[in-house]
Amino acid sequence: MDRASQNERFYTVTEITKTLKSAIENSEEFNRIWIKGEIYNLTLHSSGHIYFSLKDDNAVISAVFFRSHNARLSFKLEEGMSVLAFGSLTVFEKRGSYQVNVYQLRPEGIGELQKRIEQLKKKLSEEGVFDTARKRPLPFLPRRLGIVTSPTGAAVRDIVKVALRRFPNIEIVIAPVQVQGNGAVGSIVRGIMELNRPELGIDVIIAGRGGGSFEDLMAFNEEPVVRAFYESRVPIISAVGHQIDHPLSDDAADLAAPTPSAAAEVAVPQRLELEDEINYMTLRINNAVASFLRESAMRVDAAAGRPVFRDPMTIVDERSELVADMLSEIAESLRRGVSEWRQRLLSVPGIRLLTEAIVNGKKHRFGLAVGALEKMSPLAVIRRGYAVALDEKKRAIRSVGDVDPGDPFTLVLKDGRLGCAVRTKEGGEYFGEKKGAEGKNG
Amino acid sequence: MEKKKGQKAKTGKTGAELDFEEALRELEEIARDLEGGDMGLEESIKNFERGMELAGLCHKKLQEAEKRIKILQKAADGSFEAKEIPADHETGEIDDDMQGSLL
Repeated sequence: MDRASQNERFYTVTEITKTLKSAIENSEEFNRIWIKGEIYNLTLHSSGHIYFSLKDDNAVISAVFFRSHNARLSFKLEEGMSVLAFGSLTVFEKRGSYQVNVYQLRPEGIGELQKRIEQLKKKLSEEGVFDTARKRPLPFLPRRLGIVTSPTGAAVRDIVKVALRRFPNIEIVIAPVQVQGNGAVGSIVRGIMELNRPELGIDVIIAGRGGGSFEDLMAFNEEPVVRAFYESRVPIISAVGHQIDHPLSDDAADLAAPTPSAAAEVAVPQRLELEDEINYMTLRINNAVASFLRESAMRVDAAAGRPVFRDPMTIVDERSELVADMLSEIAESLRRGVSEWRQRLLSVPGIRLLTEAIVNGKKHRFGLAVGALEKMSPLAVIRRGYAVALDEKKRAIRSVGDVDPGDPFTLVLKDGRLGCAVRTKEGGEYFGEKKGAEGKNG
Repeated sequence: MEKKKGQKAKTGKTGAELDFEEALRELEEIARDLEGGDMGLEESIKNFERGMELAGLCHKKLQEAEKRIKILQKAADGSFEAKEIPADHETGEIDDDMQGSLL
């Protein structure tokens, strides 16, 4: 009897309540569960919170439906009404009681609706309506976005706003439909069908609505609507705001988004990102060509700096094999077109600047680099007054060896072509004879 | 971008035939190939020109569409027509009078 005084372990009331509270509130068994019962002792508090009890023949449990959760309640609560409550059990320490914190409430008749949805889901699933294999990818760059939703809700505003922010010049076609209540099913189906008309040229459709109660979203669980998603020729995104159960339209669509704005995010690419990607690619091409030029120029210089060119007589004294090796090396580098690179491309104004800047590790702004790059294009060179000589097979004539006297060739200039013929032929470096000419590398 | 005859690089498709995604992918391939540095003079120039053409094409495709918001409205013969309506760029707000009747 007198155990406490014998230092036996005991709980304070607070401790045991806290232990109980923690056991209940952390248990999956008591969290986010459905409870069926009748409403009793209903109190609509001025704070907006709703208090009631749920009871059946043998038991009763108190429930609180806070304002933040009950704002979307779409039917009128009455004493004695049979309902399904979705919520979690909590312990109220001060009163030593437990209660259900209700997140959502449905009239019990809804149990029937849910059963119907389950049956439809099974049927359509067997037909292959939800097969993931038939889902199509969304277009990479949609030109025209179709929207099937109410013209007055937040959904249409959100989609238009997000789409225009991501791609300011996108075209949008809205099919204004009724998304809930009588007539919603036919309206949504018509909307999807209309936006599928080929002459509208729509390449992706977002169909949906903002969040609502289970009954509000019901149209997106109806067979004709689910089938319209399935049958849409244009790739379609289901965008129905939901908290607990997703509608069947999500399963039939090519893609499901949790909200209308999320749908717009996945459907519409960011134009700025794409432009950055193109510019990045242009810069890479630019750098690759510039570094190719720089390496080629260095190889020519290295070859020119060899003793065989500086002081040929000392080499003659050395073993003849060595001379032969070097000569073949030079011949090889000539075959690679190294000197042509130098003559033809280093003489292009602007290329030196670009090359040097890259050599010095200077960072270019995209605009500068792209500008310089465009100047490097052989077409641009021609536009500035240079010419390209093409033989009969339209190949560039790069060496006097490519043609013989009497051969016809075409000279391409910025404003046309000249038919020409080779009169005479003479070897030797043209630019090499002029000191300080553009072609000389410093 | 003008069409070019005898364009052989990669897909060899002209601007009108390529869609944006294909053009972007080919552009990336060209950048990679040029960076590989295994090309001769002629090929480098050809690829370079093709790259410039594709970049121009991609930029053009991004600018092609024109911002326009339309809404389907019932015409006299009962069919639906897409009518252009003003919309607020910032808020996405559609003019109430323009909403017409529901489908």
